[in-house]
Amino acid sequence: MERKYWEEEIETMPRRQLEKLQVERLRKTVEIAMGSKFYAPIFRERGITPESINSVEDIKRFPFTTKNDLRSTYPFGIASVPLQKVIRLHSSSGTTGNPTVILHTRRDIDEWADAMARSMYATGLRDTDIIQNTSGYGMFTGGLGIQYAAERLGAMTVPAAAGNSLRQFKFIQDFGTTALHCIPSYATRLAAVFKEQGVDPRDTTVRIMIIGAEPHSEAQRQRIEELWGCKAYNNFGMSEMCGPGVAIECQEQNGMHIWEDNYIVEILDPVTLEPVPEGELGELVLTTLNREAMPLFRYRTRDLTRILPGECPCGRTHRRLQRFQGRSDDMMIVKGVNIFPIQIEKILMQFPELASDFLITLETVGDNDEMTVQVELAKATDDFQLLDNLRREIARRLKDEILLTPKVQLVGKGVIPQSDGKAVRVKDLRQNH
Amino acid sequence: MKTIKQLSIFLENRQGSLKRILSALSDQNIEIQAASVADTNDYGILRLITSNQTKAAALLSDIGVLVNVNEVLAISIEDNVAAFSATISSLTDNGVVINYLYTFSKDGRLVLIVRPADMEKAELVASAQGFQLIQGWE
Ligand SMILES: [Zn+2]
Repeated sequence: MERKYWEEEIETMPRRQLEKLQVERLRKTVEIAMGSKFYAPIFRERGITPESINSVEDIKRFPFTTKNDLRSTYPFGIASVPLQKVIRLHSSSGTTGNPTVILHTRRDIDEWADAMARSMYATGLRDTDIIQNTSGYGMFTGGLGIQYAAERLGAMTVPAAAGNSLRQFKFIQDFGTTALHCIPSYATRLAAVFKEQGVDPRDTTVRIMIIGAEPHSEAQRQRIEELWGCKAYNNFGMSEMCGPGVAIECQEQNGMHIWEDNYIVEILDPVTLEPVPEGELGELVLTTLNREAMPLFRYRTRDLTRILPGECPCGRTHRRLQRFQGRSDDMMIVKGVNIFPIQIEKILMQFPELASDFLITLETVGDNDEMTVQVELAKATDDFQLLDNLRREIARRLKDEILLTPKVQLVGKGVIPQSDGKAVRVKDLRQNH
Repeated sequence: MKTIKQLSIFLENRQGSLKRILSALSDQNIEIQAASVADTNDYGILRLITSNQTKAAALLSDIGVLVNVNEVLAISIEDNVAAFSATISSLTDNGVVINYLYTFSKDGRLVLIVRPADMEKAELVASAQGFQLIQGWE
């Protein structure tokens, strides 16, 4: 009989035992990080030693680590092991200041491949699958990270890499690709390419899609599933933690299991940095428990989420994170109202007349904030009234959601700027911002 | 059906968006026979009758322009005001609701492009009135 889990013992470990494992691994991680020029003095100052760690609660004795810390120690300042033990480096480009660098030992690469393979297995992927990876193979972890994991799973892996949609189209059909790894906006774009070529994506062999690296709503997932006639699973990764393979939706598609043998999970109020009550929205803060080259303690991910209550019917005991509700630093304060771009996206997805890209522009007009939402039409019409009504209806429904009425602008294809293949969501041109 | 195809194109009111469309068509020797633009400050709809509607639609959609193809009535009448107003009156008097219309000259006659709210009804009225309807000339 086929096994249900990639690693049953770990994935279904009783919570008590899982917490014991976390404490053990936290001790081990402290021991490793004493070799870090960045962490060693902090540990000394706070009296943090492996022996002094007795429970998961001890995590509160650690200071936070931020993206800024990664920048200011660029490139190797946080390393916990001699560079000779490092076998790979990944980097994400910064729009301001230094990029960030994440180092991996051979064991880190191995554990990472295993965690992502475990994630893939949880979505129903098997060694019989043909997995086409549409992520860039470079500094971005979505390329090699998925490659190693799919190989670990034993699937036939097609390293198609990013872009060139006609080539993706050809590979999917020629190789009988059964699974795609892509960012959600590319899943919809590629479906459009199929349609332009006269092929319904539903008629392909693609049965599973692993989507991530870009915030998206439940409606967007459903649209992808409809377009492709497949199941789409939300996958969470971040290069600071390793890359893809941090958390994933199982086949229940109700929240992402975060692999707690590898991370200590905290959900904190982004202002007070105190834990929010169980189940409430807050910033995800993670501590790595299974990394050597560059362990990070209490890393502020800036992603807003909550822990879903209760047990998952799939039997995994690792807690589930809700789909991300935005980023703690994406929050816009417009006329005193807190607004997240995902709220706007959620409304726009309800309009079949619209494609998936949009752009929010904030400007100062006189003494006031003005919000303009540019939305991309999915198709043309000969009916002027229809466009006008559409625009009014979008503005009305947005107002119900965000409590202020934005100006809505309809645009055609290719007007909304893209960067690194991801749609830019917010442009803040306000003075004093 | 005694109708012709019309292209409706979503136009952003950005510099060059109209020019881009017109030059794409003329590069492929597609002739524009009639055009009308309806617009607001932000966007517009360009309605086009060209010498080859199928080719024009494919060409524009290839360069990322949003194009809609639909059917309209093309009524050929004498090129004078009296004929024009008589035609419109007999359509509306017989209950045809006109969403929009525009005109162009062809071979010494005036062609009325009419988009009625109810195409079936408009076709019936036009036939009953003995109007000369042009059918897809491509
Ligand atoms: Zn589950």
